[in-house]
Amino acid sequence: YKPAKFNLLVKLSGWFRSILSDKTSRNLFFFLCLNLSFAFVELSYGIWSNSLGLISDSFHMFFDCTALLAGLAASVISRWRSNDSFSYGYVRAEVLAGFVNGLFLIFTAFFIFSEGVERALEPPNVNHDRLLPVSIAGLLVNLVGIFVFQHGGHGHSHGGEDQLTPGKGASKQILQGVLLHIIADTLGSVGVIISALLMQRYDLMIADPICSMLISLLIGVSVVPLLKESIGILMQRTPPSLDQKLPESYQRVQQLQGVYNLQDPHFWTLCTDVYIGTLKLLVAPDADTRWILSQTHNIFTQAGVRQLYVQIETASM
Amino acid sequence: MACEPNRVRLLCMLSLTFVFFIVEVVVSRMTSSLSMLSDSFHMLSDVIALIVALVAVRFAEKTHATDKNTFGWIRAEVMGALVNAIFLTALCFTIVLEAVERFTEPHAIESPLVVAGVGAGGLLINLLGLCLFHGHAGSGHGHSHGGHSHGNKNKRGKNSQCENSGNGSSGEETNNLVGNHNSQGDVRPQNEISCKDSTDVQMNGNPHFEDMDHDLDTSQLNMRGVFLHVLGDALGSVIVVVTAIIFTFVWQPCIEGETCMNPCINSHSTDHQHVNHTLVDLLEGPTMSAMKFAGPCWVLYLDPTLCIIMVCILLYTTYPLLKESALILLQTVPKQINMHRLNERLLTLEGVLAIHELHIWQLAGSRIIATAHIKCHDPTSYMEVAKRIKDFFHNEGIHATTIQPEFVTFSSESRDSLCELSCRTQCAPKLCCGSADKKDMKAIGDGKAAAASALEVISETLEQAAGDQVPPLSDAEITVTREVESSL
Repeated sequence: YKPAKFNLLVKLSGWFRSILSDKTSRNLFFFLCLNLSFAFVELSYGIWSNSLGLISDSFHMFFDCTALLAGLAASVISRWRSNDSFSYGYVRAEVLAGFVNGLFLIFTAFFIFSEGVERALEPPNVNHDRLLPVSIAGLLVNLVGIFVFQHGGHGHSHGGEDQLTPGKGASKQILQGVLLHIIADTLGSVGVIISALLMQRYDLMIADPICSMLISLLIGVSVVPLLKESIGILMQRTPPSLDQKLPESYQRVQQLQGVYNLQDPHFWTLCTDVYIGTLKLLVAPDADTRWILSQTHNIFTQAGVRQLYVQIETASM
Repeated sequence: MACEPNRVRLLCMLSLTFVFFIVEVVVSRMTSSLSMLSDSFHMLSDVIALIVALVAVRFAEKTHATDKNTFGWIRAEVMGALVNAIFLTALCFTIVLEAVERFTEPHAIESPLVVAGVGAGGLLINLLGLCLFHGHAGSGHGHSHGGHSHGNKNKRGKNSQCENSGNGSSGEETNNLVGNHNSQGDVRPQNEISCKDSTDVQMNGNPHFEDMDHDLDTSQLNMRGVFLHVLGDALGSVIVVVTAIIFTFVWQPCIEGETCMNPCINSHSTDHQHVNHTLVDLLEGPTMSAMKFAGPCWVLYLDPTLCIIMVCILLYTTYPLLKESALILLQTVPKQINMHRLNERLLTLEGVLAIHELHIWQLAGSRIIATAHIKCHDPTSYMEVAKRIKDFFHNEGIHATTIQPEFVTFSSESRDSLCELSCRTQCAPKLCCGSADKKDMKAIGDGKAAAASALEVISETLEQAAGDQVPPLSDAEITVTREVESSL
């Protein structure tokens, strides 16, 4: 893919327009800006007041921003046209983005867990007074994010645009990853607030690490479905939604006149809702291949597979 | 078979690292040193990376198809490599975080000699791991040549003497993957020898050789991920040892009982009682003539600086691995294959009128899968054309192909480039890539007009033929000219 040698500015403005055109990526972009600005504010306040807790919390927010950035990049990239190197286009980027986000989340959970263990063994005298209002503000920001992205699923991206863009189902993976990340952050803020309150009222120093560990476990558990789904897609697994319909379709194809056998079926998901399949048919020498081909395509289109490659092999009599 | 040494090495390294992790945790409790504890967590992340690689290797051995995974579990190794690469990147972020924390709040290492000792132990283990996994990456080349018959990849512009093969081989492919130039010298002569044998074996597509090629290729990616992880850990241990040693020799700590001041540490730190003690002393006024200073301060900043340098090195070496595995998972056309030329050469085959929807992607390693629609004259000539096309793909090194035939109808001579069997409902958003073909969308229910060349659909004749027992249609009745891509 060799784009014309535009200068960087033109390319950037092109991406910008592309981002603003689709509702999902618009939301992602604005939330990313919101998160980034909040993180910068927190960082500068932390440096100015020399509070280590605030600085490390702002770095956590930067880490979350990378997840948002990955989702945004994926939603832009998956709309690019296909070319010589990417014959299927870039639509798989969204699956990859969901997977990467899930991995980052697991890593964050692991990291929080280890920090919790460290603090449990050696509780530092952390000053929580400054952390409380900041985490409340962070909680508000994240609640905004949850609200926006929970409703953001119905971005009708194929309203009047060219038919080459993937439908709204394509954003599903990205949004799921981003939403999980925001929920994880919200849980973190909630945990900080609860532990701060517990420590102030009841002087339970152990509350902080226990809260962290609980939160990390919650995050880990919530990420599992997303990971399972993306791993399934990336491993070229037969699409789960077709699990029932495929055997029926095989039956129907084998009952066509002239078809001896159906061999070697491979069905996999390219991205959300786009299924691709290949199979081989052993047919009689006098069979009408054209008819068999179109019938087979018909049968599988009804099952939901729109890209099918049928190889015909004539049995030698 | 060839994966056995992989598993053994991984298990070996895993057990060593795990034991050392336990040792580090115990030592950190005994000396109550926080840095040792965090280093032990790095070891734990190493253990996790090894477990991921091991799981990937185990899974990828199941190459046969299952009900749900019709391609087998081969891709597990690419996934393992990706997971490890992402894990490393995230780890780098954490290290940067910790380094910045240390910059704002430096604290001295307590009992540096113990730390140095444990760090040296960790370094030894990591060096051992480096040898284990680096050595494997080299020997992988040796294996792949013995059995490599037709790993013929089409290298642009490079033609070897063997007429059937390009210079590409699995060895070259792993050169692309691993960037290991040492064995390139081995690649060439063996390649040419085995090429002469390959012409015989090619037609049959001996699966045994193919398995050997493939297994070693994919494992390279996985092992590279592990190697990079161990490398990162080794660098970390080096930093620990270096800083601890410098600390013992250069740093003059504040000893209890003496009045000295630690000018490097800000009053925000809470675990240095020296500071409070000495500040109180100062305030109370007894002017001591000999004031000792804990010093020199730059030693405290050595650790985070080295950490940041290490992060840069790690990120630089991890990026190619990340890119490579991500590209495979994105269904890219493999690097060695030039789609354009392939297309042209396919068109020169006898009996091939047009090619549509050619997709070539890499399952894992050297297993490349291609699908295409190929237009040919009529069903009787189809089988020979099919054989020719299969051979052609074999020569390119692509062995899993599915080719769908498309037959010319009498009225569509001039529209070779259009597809015949594309779907008739509102498929456009559901198709992967409607780039070159203009499909006729008879949008049912959606009312979406689609750009299309005006082609009539077979729909009427097909709906008549919806029943199972239908006599074959003659050419004259078929008015459909929507050309479908025939994938052979």
